[in-house]
Amino acid sequence: MKTQWRERITDLFYPLAAASLAFVLGAVVLALLGVSPLDAYAALLKGAFGSRNAFAETLVKATPLLLVGLGICIAFRGQVINIGGEGQMIVGALLATALGLAFPDWPGWVMIPLAMLVAMFGGAVWGGIPGVLKAYYNVNEILSTIMMNAIAVQLMNYLLRGPMIDPVQAQRASQIPQTAALSAAYRLPRWVPTRLHLGALIAVVLALLVYFLLWRTGWGYRIRAVGYNPHASRYAGIPVKRYTVLALVLSGAFAGLAGMIQVYGVNYRMITDGSATGFTGGAGFNGIVAALLGQLHPLGTIPASVLFGALLVGANAMQRAVQVPSALVTALNGLVVVFVVSSEYFRRRAQKRRLLRATERAAAQAVREASPPRG
Amino acid sequence: MRRSILLLLVLALAAGLVACGGGQEAATQAPAEEAAKPFRIAVVMPSAINDMAFSQSMYDALVKLQKEMGGPEKMEFVYSENMYVVDDAAAAIRDYASQGYDLVIAHGSQYGSSLQEIAPDFPETSFAWGTTVDTFKEQGIHNVFAYEARAEQGGYVNGVMAALLSKSGVIGVVGPIETGDAKLYIDGFKTGVLATNPDAQVNINYIGSFSDVALAAEAAKTHIEAGADVLTGTAQMVVGAIGVAKDNGVLWFGTQADQSSLAPEIVVANQVYDWTVALKPMVENIQKGVLGGEAYSLTLANGGLTIQYNPQFDLPEDVKAAAEQTIQGIIDGSIQVPVGGE
Repeated sequence: MKTQWRERITDLFYPLAAASLAFVLGAVVLALLGVSPLDAYAALLKGAFGSRNAFAETLVKATPLLLVGLGICIAFRGQVINIGGEGQMIVGALLATALGLAFPDWPGWVMIPLAMLVAMFGGAVWGGIPGVLKAYYNVNEILSTIMMNAIAVQLMNYLLRGPMIDPVQAQRASQIPQTAALSAAYRLPRWVPTRLHLGALIAVVLALLVYFLLWRTGWGYRIRAVGYNPHASRYAGIPVKRYTVLALVLSGAFAGLAGMIQVYGVNYRMITDGSATGFTGGAGFNGIVAALLGQLHPLGTIPASVLFGALLVGANAMQRAVQVPSALVTALNGLVVVFVVSSEYFRRRAQKRRLLRATERAAAQAVREASPPRG
Repeated sequence: MRRSILLLLVLALAAGLVACGGGQEAATQAPAEEAAKPFRIAVVMPSAINDMAFSQSMYDALVKLQKEMGGPEKMEFVYSENMYVVDDAAAAIRDYASQGYDLVIAHGSQYGSSLQEIAPDFPETSFAWGTTVDTFKEQGIHNVFAYEARAEQGGYVNGVMAALLSKSGVIGVVGPIETGDAKLYIDGFKTGVLATNPDAQVNINYIGSFSDVALAAEAAKTHIEAGADVLTGTAQMVVGAIGVAKDNGVLWFGTQADQSSLAPEIVVANQVYDWTVALKPMVENIQKGVLGGEAYSLTLANGGLTIQYNPQFDLPEDVKAAAEQTIQGIIDGSIQVPVGGE
């Protein structure tokens, strides 16, 4: 038990050290731009944690990262790579928004859970299609999930500029691709005066559920078993193909829910600039990083999402405070991602060495015990 | 064990960073408050300040306005660029407003719904957004200005020149999303072409993105393969199309900002926005205590729009004369540029 804790801490050391290194490198660039790195990073921290409102914004940003990240935990544990979070978010949000706009007079406590289910269904279908393609036709899921993103974007652009466009926008020359606003009753409760909404709590509860699913149920066990060794799983009688599809279906469902939460919790309407990130804010991709930073553990993904959300919110605040080009903000985020993801390699190497040493020790012990006592 | 010590070190360093940073900020803030208060503007933009298009036109205008108002002591401005995610932009707008800026500009019509929510929370702050004519007066909001560019006017002028210069009679347009000043410009351009040469073929392609440079380049290639020998386009992704036009020796008409420097040999002329025409009366109004309710338009007549010919491009005299005549016609009203939608 004790050693396990020490291992956890050393495991945590790698991503944290990597993130710090990224910030050191960022500091060099800031200094070259003639901005004091101390001022800049102080603004970043202040922008992410400096006030009640700042922290609330961080949590608002972290919520979709956590939801997408939970799905990523499931998929990656099942050894399927889901790069389709963006598309799954979009489809989930489209379905949930269409439902909310079609029936504007229902009570909120009926519509909100229903919209959540519908969004999860949409995301599940969007994730399930690459799942079926991989399991039964051996199509690489990295490619197919990315392609599904492109389809979802076009679907969104068509719907938000055509059938689902805000009637006010339809009359104007501006024609912003956005839907009408949802009924006030459908808005997720907020912790006024901040924008922190119920979705954050929902995400945390779901993180606990995913933990339970993966480690305390037969389904979760089989998803992980298929991920560890598909051949052995098949030998053990697990329907491997079905569990590959299931991993992507669940993964997509969580991303779809993230899309719905953004609509019902943050904007109260669906709006885009014609690109996927215009709606998702890149959460479909950043959720992957949050999950990796959280060691693909649902509970680890909670603090990881908060940290990454803080980085995104804080970096925008830093741009406002010290007026650095936005390219630097993007670069800083990119540096953190690259460093954290590559630190995984070093962590794995250290882990292997640790295991090797432990095995050697155990073997030596066994040899000692096995050899007959002398004299 | 050594690792946990390292971890502690890193944490300590991080904590130190917070402490130092906090202290320094307190020190720098004090003297700023003692000085006389300049007029403070904050602007939130969807793309980069050097995008050669929409955002740059606003940034250049603010730089010009600052000079005209007497430098940074009289007017200071800050900006957030690349805020294409609307809820990030909303957070930025709210943050600027709570920092007490005199004027917060939401430079993008997609920010409208957010602004409608934020503005009532800061009745002492003035907001502006564009491109639009809606100041939310009907919704009972009195601290929002609106601004727009009548881009169809310069679009029409560019269209006239394009029709005269095209030998194949096929002209390609690379548009972003069919919205805002992009739609105005392209509608005006098409009208201008067809008014000059009714047999010309104007191929319009909205690529569905304001930022996808590669897609804009592909669209330009497709236009050229379809026989186009003159191209135009609007929004910040057109740099890709201009590159393709340059490689193929095809002419280009710019809008929003002066794009001549991107390809001096093929850019014929640009419609350039000068937002100071809208910003100056806004500042005057705010200083008088009027915080919103007015809408401003950039037109050829008020100098908010200008056609800038590329001095390095050898424009035939008769084409230039036709362009000047068209500009005069639009200014005195003898040429009406109809626009669909509004």
